[in-house]
Amino acid sequence: MASAQTQRSAIDWTSFIALALTTAGGSMRAGTCGMTRPAQLPESEFEASLISRIAEGDESAFTALYQRFSASLYGMAFRMMNDAKEAEDVLQEGFTYIWRKAASYDSSRSSPFAWAVMIVRNKAIDRLRVRQRLERLRDKVTTEGSFHQEKDETSADEPTLRERGALVRSALQQIPEEQRQALELCFFGGLTHAQIAERLATPLGTIKARIRRGLLRLRECLNEEL
Amino acid sequence: MIDEAKQDLLVQYLLGELDPATADQVRAELARDVELREFARDFEEAFASLAYTASPMAPPRELPQRILQAERRARRSTLPAPYSKIIWLTMPWALAACLAIVCAVLSLEQTRIRKDLISLQEQNKEASKALISLQEKNTEASRALVALQQKIAQSERDLAALKEKNVLSELKIATLKAQIAAYKGATAVVVWDKEQKKGVLQLDKLPPPGQGKDYQLWVIDSKKPQPVSAGILSVPNDGLIRTSFHPAVPVESADAFAISVEKAGGAPKPEGQIILVGK
Repeated sequence: MASAQTQRSAIDWTSFIALALTTAGGSMRAGTCGMTRPAQLPESEFEASLISRIAEGDESAFTALYQRFSASLYGMAFRMMNDAKEAEDVLQEGFTYIWRKAASYDSSRSSPFAWAVMIVRNKAIDRLRVRQRLERLRDKVTTEGSFHQEKDETSADEPTLRERGALVRSALQQIPEEQRQALELCFFGGLTHAQIAERLATPLGTIKARIRRGLLRLRECLNEEL
Repeated sequence: MIDEAKQDLLVQYLLGELDPATADQVRAELARDVELREFARDFEEAFASLAYTASPMAPPRELPQRILQAERRARRSTLPAPYSKIIWLTMPWALAACLAIVCAVLSLEQTRIRKDLISLQEQNKEASKALISLQEKNTEASRALVALQQKIAQSERDLAALKEKNVLSELKIATLKAQIAAYKGATAVVVWDKEQKKGVLQLDKLPPPGQGKDYQLWVIDSKKPQPVSAGILSVPNDGLIRTSFHPAVPVESADAFAISVEKAGGAPKPEGQIILVGK
């Protein structure tokens, strides 16, 4: 990751903007949106440029970012809310926040996708807490929770997402079961460390260690896979 | 190298589990420490990658437009109101501001009027004092006037007395004495006004002049060669005569008076016997 960051910072922004305006071809993270990424520009850089343009009120950049992130975020929201309508509401709230707060995005702190994930996840947690569905969701997560068994409803023109999903699932397979469970309860269940400790009747320190180690291991595995 | 305790703290920070004060400390440390920031970014990246494990789902295609339309509506509602609306919205404030200004002006005016009133009251006091002083002076002047009038009256009285004295000084009184024994009992007095050149004669116990005769009064002026006739005297039965007289011609100085017996009707110059003479 550190080397990737170094490469990103070496981008010539002048040529990047020129390419972004003139290049019609190139791959996309997802979908067939008309907003294309310059071939030689990393996806993360392109997505960061979209957020910059959103901050300036560029509606086409907003639509492009939506088309790149919405399938994953909508799937994540559905997994958390277990309700399509509520997942759509969460997605709408999350993208409304992105439209309004794009100027607050700091590329040195987060990648665009991680930033968007944390926003939508927080919106989902807010709703879960308000509607007091946490208990029902926890049961569902612990009984059904598996990173392999999700039903893929995306269209065939989103191979990148499926590839990334497979990559992360593969990385998760290399993580001990108890760490994976703690990560899952934390990410999709929206539970705090203390709530997970209570839920699993395990000391808080142990839960903290499981989540920390799980994340470290996941990071290593993803780096190896990439 | 970032220790495990700090890593735990970072995880809790990323998951929003820290209290605000501790979160601020971590945020400050992240701003200072590049290595810690890189580590946190990798942590968040790994955590967010879990989103890929959820099956992607076809999102509502119209959602971006729905969001943007809602934002446009929200923005319009926060845009400045039309001019007329602004007027209606600001009118009460403008009126309040005007009222405040008017109140301030009136307050200043009231203060000014109070000062003027105090000044006028002081002037009135001064004027009252001056009036009292003038009234006192007037009283004094009235007194002085009365005193002066009294003096004038006294002066007028003195003047009148002086005039009276002067009149007397202008009069000449002459007692005529009988020149013949037959007329010794008769008395005659002449009062002559030098100023008026006229006189008054009083005769008593004068016997009748006789048949064909009249008494005639003469004024003797030393500057004239002949006595000047002052008229015929009619003697009543009781012999008392009081009459005023004027010389027949003007005289400058009445040095003496005389009565003579002349033929009836008188004479232009003395021809008969002089019976009474006096200076």
